[in-house]
Amino acid sequence: MADQPGPEPGPDPAAPSGGQLAHGPVGDPPGGPTDDLPEAAERRFSEGAFTSGLTVPDFAACLQMGLEPVGYVQGFCVMQWQWYGMGSPFGGFGSPYAGQARGYSESWQCPHGFVSAEHRGWGQNYEQSWIEDAWHQGFDGAYARMLEEASAAGAHGVVGVTDTSQPLGDLGVLEFRVQGTAVRVAGGQLPADGRPWTTYLAGQRLAKSIEAGLAPVSVAATVASVRVWAYCVTEYLTEGSSGGWGYQAAAAEIDQMSKAHMAVRRIAREQIRGRLGHDSLHGASMLTSERELGQGDAELQCILRGNRVRRFKAFDPLPPPRPTVRLL
Amino acid sequence: MSGTPGPDTPPPVDIAAEMRTAADYLSRPASAPAGTGRGGRTSDLSMDEEIALHSIGWEPLQLVCGACLFSVPMGVWNWGQGEIASASNAYARAFAGASDQLHAECTKVGGRGVVGVHVQAEVYRHHVDVVLLGTAVRPVDATGLSAEPVFVSDLSGRDFALLLSSGWAPLGLAVGASFVYAPRRSAGTAMKQKSQNIELTNFTEAMYSAREAAMERMQRSALAMDGTGVVEVKVTEGPMEFARHAVSFTAYGTVVHLVAAEHRTLSPRMVLPMDDPVQQFDITSLRG
Repeated sequence: MADQPGPEPGPDPAAPSGGQLAHGPVGDPPGGPTDDLPEAAERRFSEGAFTSGLTVPDFAACLQMGLEPVGYVQGFCVMQWQWYGMGSPFGGFGSPYAGQARGYSESWQCPHGFVSAEHRGWGQNYEQSWIEDAWHQGFDGAYARMLEEASAAGAHGVVGVTDTSQPLGDLGVLEFRVQGTAVRVAGGQLPADGRPWTTYLAGQRLAKSIEAGLAPVSVAATVASVRVWAYCVTEYLTEGSSGGWGYQAAAAEIDQMSKAHMAVRRIAREQIRGRLGHDSLHGASMLTSERELGQGDAELQCILRGNRVRRFKAFDPLPPPRPTVRLL
Repeated sequence: MSGTPGPDTPPPVDIAAEMRTAADYLSRPASAPAGTGRGGRTSDLSMDEEIALHSIGWEPLQLVCGACLFSVPMGVWNWGQGEIASASNAYARAFAGASDQLHAECTKVGGRGVVGVHVQAEVYRHHVDVVLLGTAVRPVDATGLSAEPVFVSDLSGRDFALLLSSGWAPLGLAVGASFVYAPRRSAGTAMKQKSQNIELTNFTEAMYSAREAAMERMQRSALAMDGTGVVEVKVTEGPMEFARHAVSFTAYGTVVHLVAAEHRTLSPRMVLPMDDPVQQFDITSLRG
């Protein structure tokens, strides 16, 4: 008995090499990394039992749809954004006077003539395309890693996707996380390009989408960033300043800020429409934040995300739902 | 109890077969979608809302938005008496500016109206910011521009479908806002009341004054649109964070009018849920 070999010890998931990326850090924007699945993830997917982030009702609904969960897949990307200026890989300039890489730009001239050296003679709104590129590098990198895990698990798609990003400390570091449950369609085929489809939906919501004739293609997310360099009128109107020369700004629309708010939302919508092709975006969520930088200056950021869907059968509306009243 | 569907119950859908069909469709090279002409659209409606819209013959077109920031002149929040007209006016102008932009965007994309409008209205010391975001919609077979003015509504897709089914239609958003100073008490009165449990009538009266003015403005706005009434009214009230001696009251809602000959009763069916009293699935854990 002593000569019989025992069962081979399995690989240790906590081994130091388990979390190492096979091909190093994120390199070329904007497509993100490929082929850098951690060794531990490959071992995990080959072990048989599935993992899933689905709730029990979602799990039951997925089984009813013929979706078999194969693994909880995740992608992470930690980005350090300290340097956007000239010479950075994103090729932008941190000053409106030097222009910007591409996109929206609009300027305003002071109506007062020369008042003082401190007087803001002109202002500009401009798109910070290098910030958008950097954000996409982080998001697309995490997303690509999640897809890579799903492909390794032999999945046709990923359902119940969640994505988050959060700063790590005060280091100018942002962590992107994209996660979901990889599934196989019983009797179904892989997507044409070999990349699993993805959706923020799961369970009955996904079932309703399929029943309505809309197949999930991918989650879609984008960011728009607009910087506002205020000119004198914007400064007076937003700060309640008199301008110091007896000039009292009357109540009026703050044109420069209104246009910045419209522009940042328009850019986000245009960017995402540019990625849709013949497909549509459903269940979109638009989150806009404003960071005041003082004296009318501000930075606006708009994140737009949703489900990219493709109609796979002719438009055929469901019958009108029957109104009901719940008796409790 | 039998599982046989009734005569008015749609036949059950083989959802697994539908899923396989969808997967097979995605396995083919991308082409124009089935039912052409419906690609490139964006919508923040949920799948439930969209299905409700489809069931009454409407469809989403594009996400549309409007934004307007209007300034509040310096010094208006200092102590005074009566209404702070500059602030009330700034709120109304900011709302009107954002609403005009929403109308323009909706018209541009060929929508007949906007549903599910998210209203974001913030009052700061020196400016009022209003942002409106919603989904432009139109009847499925509609093309080109409408001769009718487009409507704007903060009703959800479900509520919009219910409203239309009842013979009513939305017209627009009515809004009213008022900011009023709470008159300063005299030093003697303040000292006398310091140790008493007593109503501060100056604040109560200021709140009543702001409320009446705001509600009246909202109602006038509805009448100006030839509306019959306002549904889903939302109000905010209370002292301003940066000026505790001033109170605000804001109200907005969707103006509706009857388009059918008379109101249509929907006769909902009573249902008795038989769910176990277990912790329900938190739908907000999902996106979409």
